[in-house]
Amino acid sequence: MSADTPFTNEAIDLEHLPKYEEILLKQPHADYWKIICINLLIFFGLLGLGLSALLLFVDEFKLNAVWIVPVYLALIIIFFFLFRLSFKKRGYAVRTHDVLYKSGIIAESTTIVPLNRIQHIELNEGIFSRMYKLGSLQLFTAGGQSGHIHISGIPIGEAKSIRDLLLKKLDLLENPITETEV
Amino acid sequence: MDNDFSKPQRESAFGIIIMGAHTLVKIVKASFFLFILAFVKMSGTSFIYLITGVLAILFISFIFAYLWYLKFTFFLDKEKQEFVVNKGIFNRDQVIIQLDKIQQVNINQNILQKIIGVYGLKIDTAGAHGEEVSIRAIDETTAYNLQAHLLNRKAIGGEQPEAVRENNLIEETPFLKISGLTLLKVGLTSNYGQSLALLAAFFYTVIYEGRQLLDAFKINRDEIQSTVTGMLTIVTVFILIACLLIVLLIINLVRTFYKYFELQIMQHKDALLLSSGLIAKKNTLISPNKVQVTKYSQNYFQKKMNMLNMSLRQAHFGQNKKGHEMQGNTLEIPGCNVTERDELLKMILSKAPLKGKTFIPDWRFLNLPIFFRLVLPVSIFLILAFNIPAVKPFIGAAFAYFITGVLMIYISYRRHRISVNQDFIIKTSGIWDISNEIIQPNKIQAITTFQYPWHKGVDVGHLSLHTAAGQIHFKYGNYTEIKQLVNYWLYQVEHDNKSWM
Repeated sequence: MSADTPFTNEAIDLEHLPKYEEILLKQPHADYWKIICINLLIFFGLLGLGLSALLLFVDEFKLNAVWIVPVYLALIIIFFFLFRLSFKKRGYAVRTHDVLYKSGIIAESTTIVPLNRIQHIELNEGIFSRMYKLGSLQLFTAGGQSGHIHISGIPIGEAKSIRDLLLKKLDLLENPITETEV
Repeated sequence: MDNDFSKPQRESAFGIIIMGAHTLVKIVKASFFLFILAFVKMSGTSFIYLITGVLAILFISFIFAYLWYLKFTFFLDKEKQEFVVNKGIFNRDQVIIQLDKIQQVNINQNILQKIIGVYGLKIDTAGAHGEEVSIRAIDETTAYNLQAHLLNRKAIGGEQPEAVRENNLIEETPFLKISGLTLLKVGLTSNYGQSLALLAAFFYTVIYEGRQLLDAFKINRDEIQSTVTGMLTIVTVFILIACLLIVLLIINLVRTFYKYFELQIMQHKDALLLSSGLIAKKNTLISPNKVQVTKYSQNYFQKKMNMLNMSLRQAHFGQNKKGHEMQGNTLEIPGCNVTERDELLKMILSKAPLKGKTFIPDWRFLNLPIFFRLVLPVSIFLILAFNIPAVKPFIGAAFAYFITGVLMIYISYRRHRISVNQDFIIKTSGIWDISNEIIQPNKIQAITTFQYPWHKGVDVGHLSLHTAAGQIHFKYGNYTEIKQLVNYWLYQVEHDNKSWM
């Protein structure tokens, strides 16, 4: 299809290309932090239950209570701190031609998926997400596990509109090809 | 001649034999050591049971093969541009493959197929689950015809009238041919790693199964162990190592010859036809635009002998089909010389790749590997050495390790670079085998950039390009330049709208 349009080869000024690093990113919805907290609380609740059962009923464990309890508490604090940090660092943006996602606690990594490389889109809603009307969007490319984007904590209305927008774009991309073939 | 495949048709009737033998081999392979055990432990009377059992297995596998043959049909749906296969003995399975999803079509011939005079045909698709279709027995003309039909979907589309093309592949002259001498050189200089793995796997099975046999024969294991350890003196150890090295070389040679004997590459319309193999001949037809990453590598010896190894990587999705040694997805072409490489590159990439602006990593590239691979282990070793007198004599070895390590890491740092121009991205890396991976910007699926906070001040960052055939990393580059490159590639991918396969 590129053969139809006359070939032009103008010099590109690299300085004037749109810069992905200057895009204003959207943060996940504040309610998503609550979901992370709920998940963490469930995890540590179960762990705590198991530990306390061991501490109460197994004699050998009672002696070690001196360090097991502080380690448990320290883990809770560390996890909440790390997840808070990671929550703060996440951000996403949808541009006309690609989707950006930024994340990472220590190393800040930005993944960019051009829309014309998206293979399929998934919109997930968990139990807790549904309570807060949030959803998570996954964009898959042919790049395998590493080249895919998973954005959680988007308000469900916005997630759906992003999905529809992307699907529309995908259709537009595919249509000209099928037209030339038929 | 029915060569348009529009009507459902069966495989060649010889397929029954092939299929039957295939099932048989599978069963025998699975129960080989069981059989030996049975033989050893069995008394004479139950021998007849065994024979009848074997005959029953033989009979059943051929009955299955016959039913399979009856139910296995395939045809080409021209309107929908689909290849349809019906199969299944008890349940009806229908596999539908869209022609534009086909990555490559292989025509193989194993020993049995060679004896009977039929070919096997395999279709690799870019489906998410990597499902594949294999037709086990068709005659040569049909095989090549079908291959051509499956890959030239544009031609089938109706613009060109169907010309009867019978074996016109043979008339074409190959533009690349690897001679036996080159293969010898290849076998001596490359792929040690794979052969080593093969050897290790072989020894593992021998030892494992041998132990079971020993148990079966009720041989005293300690006795053997003591004789073996008695034989181990320094001289014998050296001889043993030398023998192992020679065996390794021989295995390497045999493997190379088995796989790449009479390797030829021909251009066939807009596809490339690769054929190779000593006993089992393998023909592969791929279209160049399905190749995602083109790579060539060369080590010091190979450079002196003016040859390189090339590999063409195609898209692979999810798990590779049952660990089939990545057969379908990477095509190796060992032992081509520089002019042949350039010709091949031109064919695949449609023009010879030129190195453009080259980007080199920052010296901080050296920090992590030197710390984790050298400083940390060596200091642990030294602490041990000063506390345990038995280890003390080996301190010299630690220093030798440290110095060679520094040298190797430095070489890898010097080699690690990426060069970019309008049409190509070339990543160079390696210590001993220096490899060049070439991709075109339109093969990029996604881009990731990342940076550690302590590198923010010095403007150093990392880049990964995700393609359908793996990632390409460039580490410790100038982050401003990387960001500029990313913007440029995004522009190329999003602006041109070229398809990636």
